[in-house]
Amino acid sequence: MSCHRSQSQSQPRTPMGRALELPGANPTLGENPKLTVRKGAYTYTVETHGEESTYNVSDGARTISIPIHWNFGFGAQTWVLERSGRRYESAVSYYPSIPGLDFTTGDEDLKPRSLEEAIGREIELRETKVCFGCHATSAVTNGKMTFESLRPGVTCEHCHAGTTTHLADSLNGDFDSAPPDLRKRTSEEISNFCGQCHRSWETVVRNHWRGELTVRFQPYRLANSKCFDGADSRISCIACHDPHQDIVRQDSSYDGNCRACHSSSTAGPQASSIAASTGSLIHARICPTAKSECVSCHMPKVKLPNGHLTFTDHQIRIVKPGEPFPN
Amino acid sequence: MAVASAAHTEMGTTHRWHVRRRRQSDVRLTFTILIFTLLSQLGNAQANPASFSDVASKAMAAREANDVPSAIELYQQALKLDSQWPDGWWFLGSLQYGTGAYAAADNALSHYLDLTPNAAPALAMRGLCEFETAEYQSSLNDIQRALALGAANQPRNEKILRYHEALLLTRTGRFEDALRSYAFFARDDANDSNSELLLAVGLAGLRTPLLPKELKADQTELYIGVGKAAFDFMKGDKEIAREQFQRLFQRVPAVLNAHYLYGYLLYASDPEEAMVEFRNELAANPSNTAAEVMLAWIPLLQNDGSEALPYARKAVAEDPALPSAQLVLGRALSETGDTKGGLEHLEKTVQLQPDNLEVHLALAKAYSKSGRKEDARRERLLCLEMTKTKNDTASATHP
Repeated sequence: MSCHRSQSQSQPRTPMGRALELPGANPTLGENPKLTVRKGAYTYTVETHGEESTYNVSDGARTISIPIHWNFGFGAQTWVLERSGRRYESAVSYYPSIPGLDFTTGDEDLKPRSLEEAIGREIELRETKVCFGCHATSAVTNGKMTFESLRPGVTCEHCHAGTTTHLADSLNGDFDSAPPDLRKRTSEEISNFCGQCHRSWETVVRNHWRGELTVRFQPYRLANSKCFDGADSRISCIACHDPHQDIVRQDSSYDGNCRACHSSSTAGPQASSIAASTGSLIHARICPTAKSECVSCHMPKVKLPNGHLTFTDHQIRIVKPGEPFPN
Repeated sequence: MAVASAAHTEMGTTHRWHVRRRRQSDVRLTFTILIFTLLSQLGNAQANPASFSDVASKAMAAREANDVPSAIELYQQALKLDSQWPDGWWFLGSLQYGTGAYAAADNALSHYLDLTPNAAPALAMRGLCEFETAEYQSSLNDIQRALALGAANQPRNEKILRYHEALLLTRTGRFEDALRSYAFFARDDANDSNSELLLAVGLAGLRTPLLPKELKADQTELYIGVGKAAFDFMKGDKEIAREQFQRLFQRVPAVLNAHYLYGYLLYASDPEEAMVEFRNELAANPSNTAAEVMLAWIPLLQNDGSEALPYARKAVAEDPALPSAQLVLGRALSETGDTKGGLEHLEKTVQLQPDNLEVHLALAKAYSKSGRKEDARRERLLCLEMTKTKNDTASATHP
């Protein structure tokens, strides 16, 4: 790890690094030892004692209690629950913006007909593999769920396949087995790579997904932008985001990325440096309205219909007042 | 009913066949009655010359009195006086359809559709006429257009149209699309013992481009058995389906496309098990190009172009005219670095299948990777347009 010290130290603390946590590792439930909400005929309670949390759903007459083993998400949190050989996505999730419990995003329309159904949405093996495949590392091997090798969260091996071998080889002075450099991929390829979890344009379109919920799927939204060019690295996911670092939330910090394209040849040093590093010197139109905090106008924040989560819309565009969410 | 019975009596010799035909005739008649009911409010004939008005009124009276031969004659007379009378063409076509005069009905409904192009019931009925006159591609086009325009607004109509759509998809070689259509019937337990439906599912499953009536009698049992296994799988009874497929594989090890079918059904929920079945299919039937295509397709959806490439190359070598083979090779080449070579195959495929979403998805990605920004955007917008309606099929995609 001495070669990639910076990345190996910062990445495990990012939301991706903490995308899945085991009991006791995530402070959220410890800080909220009793969460409760009533939804229709059912009352949901999440209770935490020490490192053990329990998900309870009650119809007033009966209560089902399930120990929580899998905390999905670092801020907002959903639980994958196991009962009688079946797995469920919890019907309610924790949202820091409330702060408290409410329906899990996307499951608002479920109409449970029994206490068992009120636990949450049952997930089949394929979906289980998708959930753990993205939120954990080595959870799926050769298409099979491998809980025995699972490591919580996104670790090096998740994106850089072959890291474990590379680490062992490099200790013996052999660096030939280094995983491929993802930075050499085109924007289209990077978008598809990140889209394996964040949902690629292709996945969203193939599934006919539409509406404001798609704002969560950044590769899809980005590819819908007029300016997206799959061969121009100035607009790839990693042109703006370093996956080894926490997300940067200051709008002005992305100005250089915008100016890498939207500038005259005499633009500032940051933009010139980005443009030069990508070998792309084609310049797009310059904004007549402002010179900074471009994303605050051109990538508006969108609150999901449940009101608890806000995402930056990656469909870069000239936003007109009152226009509906572009679909 | 007497007309319908007479019509189907002519068309078969065995008792089984009579029963099957009677069911079809019954549903057609019911469908016709429903459409009559729907359109009875369309209004009377336009008030033109007195003679036209008189003949039109008589035609309507004869129809209401259920005097079908006279009504047909009178509608024909009225339409000679005014060929721009939409209601006349509609009722004439409907009555002719009810008597089994499908070619004449097709003609009348075509006139009606010239005057009223987006009339879903007329498109549906013309599609059913074309089905009877063996114009299968036209029939499929009309029925699908009718469905898109809302002809399936009644449960009974929907069943009839979706069943015929699935039969036609099978007859025209679109077997996976047919299976997706049959999945609609798996939602209703009442269909479990419908041997005609199971036979039809079996035909789609074993990739046999025939209608049930075209199948040799000695093959019926096999196809119904396969259809039952597939139907149980589509209903969610996967363990029962697995046992049926295993029994089938033991009993008739080399039946063409049986492993393929089971693999295809599995692949939405368990792609790895599906790969095993596709390999089993190739072991039993080495020249099964469809299995090669699926062995390329699954890794492509998992972003593994290298794994897909050998299967895709073999598929194209075996059947260069097969669009799905061209598609998987185009994608595999594009995703393993040969974007130019990939685009050649994809552009060839889109000429063959301009309405195939998967081809446009692949083109969008390949153009994007190669820096052809405007072409990529055009393809993306086309894909968005093609998928703007809600997808109500739960099954996995197919090339």
